[in-house]
Amino acid sequence: MNPKWTIWLGGVLLAAVIAAALYFPALRRQVDKAKELTEKTAEQARRELLPVAPVSTGDPMVKVKMFWGSRGQEGELMPVVVELPLSREPVLRARQVLNTLLAGPVDAESRTLPPDAALLAFYILPDGTGVADFSDEIRTSIPSGIQSEQLAVESIVRTLEANVPQVLRLKILIHGQEADTLAGHVDLTQLFRVNAKDAAGTQLDNPSPPGSKLPAPIRKAVDTVRRATKR
Amino acid sequence: MVLDPAHGGTDQGARGTEGISESDEVLQFATATKRALEAQGFQVILTREGNDNPSFDDRSARANAQRGAVFITMHIASTGLTGTARVYVEPDAPATSNITGLIPWDRAQAPFLSLSRKLGDLVQQELSKRFKGSPDTLQTAPVRQLRTTAAPAIAVEISSVSVKERSELDRMVPGVAEAIARGLTDFRPSYVVPSIPVPGGSVQP
Repeated sequence: MNPKWTIWLGGVLLAAVIAAALYFPALRRQVDKAKELTEKTAEQARRELLPVAPVSTGDPMVKVKMFWGSRGQEGELMPVVVELPLSREPVLRARQVLNTLLAGPVDAESRTLPPDAALLAFYILPDGTGVADFSDEIRTSIPSGIQSEQLAVESIVRTLEANVPQVLRLKILIHGQEADTLAGHVDLTQLFRVNAKDAAGTQLDNPSPPGSKLPAPIRKAVDTVRRATKR
Repeated sequence: MVLDPAHGGTDQGARGTEGISESDEVLQFATATKRALEAQGFQVILTREGNDNPSFDDRSARANAQRGAVFITMHIASTGLTGTARVYVEPDAPATSNITGLIPWDRAQAPFLSLSRKLGDLVQQELSKRFKGSPDTLQTAPVRQLRTTAAPAIAVEISSVSVKERSELDRMVPGVAEAIARGLTDFRPSYVVPSIPVPGGSVQP
């Protein structure tokens, strides 16, 4: 090959390499941004499918006590008083406080529940059992461990205890199903005692192991949630 | 003595930096604890010795099949102050009203709760001596693995898989093994297998 052409070819190749090196970081940023947007859109779409948070402008502003993680004391919960428009109706009220709990505190490190988890449904059965059905993210996005799972459950239980006295005990479902554990450690087959004083003496010694027949009221609630999520 | 390295198989448990997985690390802790306990004269069974994942019930069954066993399930958290260790026992179970002489499988832990608490206190004291920042007292949590275990049973959770270097966890192994061995040695004299009440008022020793 003519030496002149070799120099030309070399020059063109060098220019292409330099251009690629300059363009690559910008391309990568674009790809990351696109990925982030897609994830946000999926999350947004999922949230839009969920029932709208039942906040009515007519609800009176009430000081409520939320239980998030304590920054000072590791593994402990700390009550935080926030002002919310809160319904007097117990089911709506429970959904409002749990949605606020999921939305999280100002300080993200005090979170007890994953930011992408959502409350799919909440019912109160005639015997005072609250049934809270959360999306899969409560299991898949929570940091695995006894301490983190216990804090998550405790924050739900204590927030309900402080704000919804009608809930005496709580059953946690995940995507309409009874789960063996939250994320491999804390037992979700049992009922959690919420308002200890009111629930004293009630039948709580019948946790339903996986595969066994659920107590009739819980089974009914599970079926209702399943039907709702199939639609 | 039944030692339970939690998770295994496709369930890696907590995952942290440097490719650390709870299921691998906890097996290392359990193996070292087994050696420390055998040196103290205990007979030790591991619920898994490789990368398999027995069910919760299969793990409990290993303890429930032994008379006079003690059960410890070992975990590594993904949160918590690194270099600390906590002991958990089941919360109080409601009193059983219908005693048939058989312990229901799903509440097998209930008759052993006070013994579990005693064992847990002793092990937690030993852990807090060795690992600064660990709590002085045990915690309660409804740990699924404990509920179906008919023996004094505790969960030991170490923090955490989020250590900067794997060696930080490795350095904890001998201390955890020694603390458990010492706690069990102190517990042994007080361990009397509870009698199971049977209909008619007599007890089955």
